[in-house]
Amino acid sequence: MTGTGGIRGWITTVDHKRIGILYGVTAFVFFLVGGIEALVIRLQLARPDSAVVSAETFNQLFTMHGTTMIFLAVMPLGAAFFNYLIPLMIGARDVAFPRLNALSYWVFLFGGLFLNASFLFGAAPDAGWFGYANLTDRQFSPGPAIDFWLLGLLVLGVSSLIAGFNFIVTILNMRAPGMTFMRLPVFVWMTLITQFLIVLAFPTITVGLFLLFFDRYLGTGFYNPLVGGNPLLWQHLFWLFGHPEVYILILPAMGIVSEVLPTFARKPLFGYPVVVYSGILIGFFGFGVWSHHMFTVGLGAVADAAFSLATMLIGIPTGVKIFNWLATLWGGAIRARTPLYFAVGFIAMFLMGGLSGIMHASPPVDMQQQDSYFVVAHLHYVLVGGSLFGLFAGIYYWWPKMTGRLLSDRLGKLNFWLLLAGFNATFFPMHFLGLLGMPRRIYTYSADRGWEPWNLVSTLGAFLIAVSVLVFLVNAVRSLRAGAPAGPDPWDGRTLEWTLPSPPPVHNFEEVPTVAHRDELWARKRRRPAEPPAPREPVPAPAPHGIHLPPPSHYPIVVAGGILLVAVGALAHVAVSVLGGLLAVYGIYRWAFEYGGPGRGHPAPLEETSLGLDHRKTGFWAFLGSECMFFASLIATYMAYKGKSLTGPYPHEILNIPLTSISTFVLLMSSLLMVLALAAVQRGDRLGAKLWLFGTAFFGLIFLGFQAYEFIEFVHEGLTLQVNLFGATFFVLTGFHGAHVTVGVIWLLSLWVLALRERLGPADAMLVEVAGLYWHFVDIVWIAIFTLIYLIQ
Amino acid sequence: MTEPAHEIHPPIRAYLVIAAVLAVITAVEVAVFYITWLARFLVPILLVLSAAKFALVAMFFMHLRSDSRVFSGLFAGPLAIAIAIILVLMALFGAFVVGRP
Repeated sequence: MTGTGGIRGWITTVDHKRIGILYGVTAFVFFLVGGIEALVIRLQLARPDSAVVSAETFNQLFTMHGTTMIFLAVMPLGAAFFNYLIPLMIGARDVAFPRLNALSYWVFLFGGLFLNASFLFGAAPDAGWFGYANLTDRQFSPGPAIDFWLLGLLVLGVSSLIAGFNFIVTILNMRAPGMTFMRLPVFVWMTLITQFLIVLAFPTITVGLFLLFFDRYLGTGFYNPLVGGNPLLWQHLFWLFGHPEVYILILPAMGIVSEVLPTFARKPLFGYPVVVYSGILIGFFGFGVWSHHMFTVGLGAVADAAFSLATMLIGIPTGVKIFNWLATLWGGAIRARTPLYFAVGFIAMFLMGGLSGIMHASPPVDMQQQDSYFVVAHLHYVLVGGSLFGLFAGIYYWWPKMTGRLLSDRLGKLNFWLLLAGFNATFFPMHFLGLLGMPRRIYTYSADRGWEPWNLVSTLGAFLIAVSVLVFLVNAVRSLRAGAPAGPDPWDGRTLEWTLPSPPPVHNFEEVPTVAHRDELWARKRRRPAEPPAPREPVPAPAPHGIHLPPPSHYPIVVAGGILLVAVGALAHVAVSVLGGLLAVYGIYRWAFEYGGPGRGHPAPLEETSLGLDHRKTGFWAFLGSECMFFASLIATYMAYKGKSLTGPYPHEILNIPLTSISTFVLLMSSLLMVLALAAVQRGDRLGAKLWLFGTAFFGLIFLGFQAYEFIEFVHEGLTLQVNLFGATFFVLTGFHGAHVTVGVIWLLSLWVLALRERLGPADAMLVEVAGLYWHFVDIVWIAIFTLIYLIQ
Repeated sequence: MTEPAHEIHPPIRAYLVIAAVLAVITAVEVAVFYITWLARFLVPILLVLSAAKFALVAMFFMHLRSDSRVFSGLFAGPLAIAIAIILVLMALFGAFVVGRP
């Protein structure tokens, strides 16, 4: 059962609540680490000509502070809430893929430890949290520091992507009967939007990091101007991720605040649909504003104007939300408890960060403020004043549900006022420092600059923040030891989690609830008549059978360990990477057969899912959407560098159209064999299934043979990864595609073996259908590559 | 449990027809590449043909035409953003500037 106790129980748990607690505790520890780094930074800057730390150490501290707070603290604190609360709020017994949920936690933990292990080797990353090229090139960062950073971020990206697919499927497909989209709690909505941002934004930084990896390890020149590369490519790929990342950090806080305010104002959220649509718009616009981080690089007037306009537009839905929150409070029967304090603090502080953000949207103003402390003030008002205040509101709001005990309201309010005072004392003076010309990332300054008074105030403020966090820790420990029992519904809550005991039982709900209202629990308590169901959304029937919960599994931690070893091997020895890869593959295969065979682990019956869709297929389509962004980033890199090689061989001299036409034909026809295989499995034609599955894999192998021949020929003719930009972009794009084909061939051969053992009947058709989707996807990617690279030269 | 896929997916003969069409379009693409008097129109012709192949595989082999609209949304939304990003990055790197080296 998922409730197994002891350390083994925690290591093998797949219970979303336990995983949520693991995320929360781990992220809070990393938050303390990042906070200590910030305190040392502030100590160094408190006085002019200070020597608390060296310049090198200072670079490491601000790099690791930013990286830690964003990737290891604020993001996973949001994930802690997603994990613990989403199933409870939508009336589900767990997430769609419990073992994947555990995997995402262990990969996150290992990625965080890997990143921070750099301190032990005296090689902490030191090029800033956004690692601008070409500071990160081997020439300027010869040691392993940047390798720790890029490999750590790649590992953490795996964790975020896995969690993203999981929660998309969970929210789309596991809502309780009657919980239509417009009855979802706003926190669930913001979580859903955040997951889409994650799965669409992380592939671009993944590509950017891979290109950096190739530059550092294989001598390519993606970011090296000496061979025609352009450091701005990194900035584009980074900020294509980095700006949506801002919303990945802030939308969960917006969701939390949207839950807290109505509860403590004792009236429904004002303009629920507008708040939801504003969140969607923020997510959508979030992909169109990345270059406002790059106004000073000389993009040109048209680009600057377009990105400036888009940035100002994104302020509209944000402002709309703020008005809705204020209108929720207006006329409410306010209960001034700690969660409300933090929620109101969020509104005020985030508003200030938003206002300075609007200033940055104007290119002429931004050019004056770029790389000054004004920007440091802005981003902290958004990410501390916004995200952190929102997260604290959530901690104080849901702590009783998670622990069964109340936190002290008196200490909570002391925590709030100290944090509010400390936060403003720390970051408001940075506006003045920026306007006085103090650049960010300098490790000291001379006394004649006149920056000392504000820096001193800022440092004192930082220590006040530390005291406020200490008060929270005292409050938490006191609550866990002897806090007053919370009961199931201490706040007169509105949403389903408050119908459960605190903490909830392992299986969450004795009976899957049926939802008839947006504020379901309030409606039940006030005996409101049911709202009419939405016309086009299915309302599935409650489960007629008993409670099925997945058993604990240790394969998630095995696979995560394999992924960690792959990263460690890149720093130590390739053999370690190979060992890690083998361990991960072993873990995946054992995982697949853990319940007696692939697909045998109680997949949710379709009639019980919210959309009537298979979880695996829904998740896989979300994965393919993410893959679109991955290959788009690679194709965009190829197209951006097209014709910019400084030396040959050039495409028209080397590409072999007749040969590639044949391999293209083979791959296209493999897609035909794939659909024939699926049709055979669906109708129970075992011979046909074996034949067509093997045929598809065989055609894939032929395609790979053609690709290997082509690569060897090109190398003989002088085209290598290092020789020019064409070689680098060509080999990386087609190489990643080939790697995808290789994975597909292995997958198909695995299914073929199952078919040979007569373990692939019509009931297992979904396994083949999902593999088929993957196979067809690599086919259509090749269709694009064949046209864009080979035919349009 | 699986969906009653055989009821909503095309019959085998339709798959064979689609495969034949894909093969013909590929042949036309390669032929167009070698026809010198079409050089001026090469790019738009190839993009249209490539898009047609892409759509055929996605709609029929991946069953988007007959499957849930949710799947179409999960794929087409990101695809649209992906294409927009390629075009914007190409523009920002001067790929559409006439006469660039």
